[in-house]
Amino acid sequence: MRTIAEINEKIARQSAVVLTVEELKARVAEVGVSQAAKEVDVITTGTFEPMESSGAIINLGHTDPPIKIRRCWLDGVPAYSGFGAVDLYLGATQAVEAIDGEEVREKGGGHVISDLIAGLPIQLRALGQVTDCYPRATFETTITRDTINQFYLFNPRNLYQNFIVGVNGGDRPLHTYLGPLQPRLANAVYSNPGALSPLLNDPNLQLIGIGTRIFLGGGIGYVAWEGTQHFPLQKRLPNDTPIGPAATLALIGDAKQMDARWVRGCYFKSYGPSLMIGVGVPLPVINEEVVARCAVQDNDLVAPIVDFSIPRRVRPTFGLVSYAQLKSGRIAIEGKPVRVAPLASLFLSRQVTIALKQWIEAGKFTLAKPVAPIPKERSFLPQDIWGAQVVLE
Amino acid sequence: MPVTYRLAKDFNVAANIIRAQVAPNQIGKLVVELSGDIDQLDAAIEWMRSLHITVSQSVAEIAINQDICVDCGLCTGVCPTEALTLDPETYRLSFTRSRCIVCEQCIPTCPVEAISINL
Repeated sequence: MRTIAEINEKIARQSAVVLTVEELKARVAEVGVSQAAKEVDVITTGTFEPMESSGAIINLGHTDPPIKIRRCWLDGVPAYSGFGAVDLYLGATQAVEAIDGEEVREKGGGHVISDLIAGLPIQLRALGQVTDCYPRATFETTITRDTINQFYLFNPRNLYQNFIVGVNGGDRPLHTYLGPLQPRLANAVYSNPGALSPLLNDPNLQLIGIGTRIFLGGGIGYVAWEGTQHFPLQKRLPNDTPIGPAATLALIGDAKQMDARWVRGCYFKSYGPSLMIGVGVPLPVINEEVVARCAVQDNDLVAPIVDFSIPRRVRPTFGLVSYAQLKSGRIAIEGKPVRVAPLASLFLSRQVTIALKQWIEAGKFTLAKPVAPIPKERSFLPQDIWGAQVVLE
Repeated sequence: MPVTYRLAKDFNVAANIIRAQVAPNQIGKLVVELSGDIDQLDAAIEWMRSLHITVSQSVAEIAINQDICVDCGLCTGVCPTEALTLDPETYRLSFTRSRCIVCEQCIPTCPVEAISINL
């Protein structure tokens, strides 16, 4: 129908027809798949949700005399330093370490990352291993994103293809990564934006692969690899969308270009810090199937209702529920009505699709053809204890 | 002092305690919903003030900082009166102040600390 190169030529001429995935769904309802596929060049998908498997690579630049950092804190949040002398990895869920007598702040790596992106100064404290190459033992300074060499997000697991709905069938409140779950099924939380979500509109990852250029936190990023816990073999509906958590992607992008509006530190009470990120993925309309896949509606997408009161790897479920029901704000579990709230911002997810559409229309963002596909088969291994085990006789 | 007891006994005012932060022999805070005869209510509030209890009416207590809010809607699931809802069209957070009973469950629920109370 059209190639990515042809689409890019149209983008360069600012004549590409770009629809957000919601506009596309509405257009398909009006004129059908074939006609919509003729009209549209690019479809923009997006999400804005907490993605805790995220973090930033930072290279500080060398001090004089130089230091080989072995321990390091950014605004009190420990960063990993067990590699290059002044290379750091700051994880989104790393909690602040309270200094003695100080009140524990509800803050972590995600907040430091968004503060750096916002241009704010960050206190850095480092301890080094004294060697002949690196004689300095300690270092303290203030950094901003403009005083460090590299500052890029490298997120090992983002863009989950579908997720779960959390509930609490127990008798005490639970504090979870989905926020508070009240006892006796008093509320439910889902975290995927459903029909807006990038990977639910390309269920078999036929368009998205390693090297796909994306909107990441308000800057330009790329799909780097399959994500951790990538599980494409999850059970699927006849429309090929998974019935629970499935494919994942590792993403990378220059944080110096990002905007703190799209990268937000967050904190879940009695669980810990995390990072909310806006991610947008453009889908090129290279054939009619692309449009047919993107026409999927919230009615056609489901997620499992999972009971968090049983803290085991495999938790009991209350069956599947559609995203249309979830977005209505109320679902029924065993005949009982339960209030349901999203954790992904549907408003900001939509804003991501609009922002990416504007970039493409303005000729600022072209599409990248993937250099390698994301694996279609991966087992999902549990981690069990092997070797000597206590035997009760 | 057993304030709520006296409210009931002397003024026939029912005090529904929504939140209490009172430690022995210390100054504390009570958020109470008072119901009773309008004159009795005024008299009860007058009486509390005469005891140097600071009484403030609970209006505009929950405040949502629109600059910080990301409209995720997580708070809507814990709001017992549905004062916090998501607009079904725009998916923006909407707060109906008249429905709010200041239970404050939304405050720790908010992942970006956009909700606060001005008590």
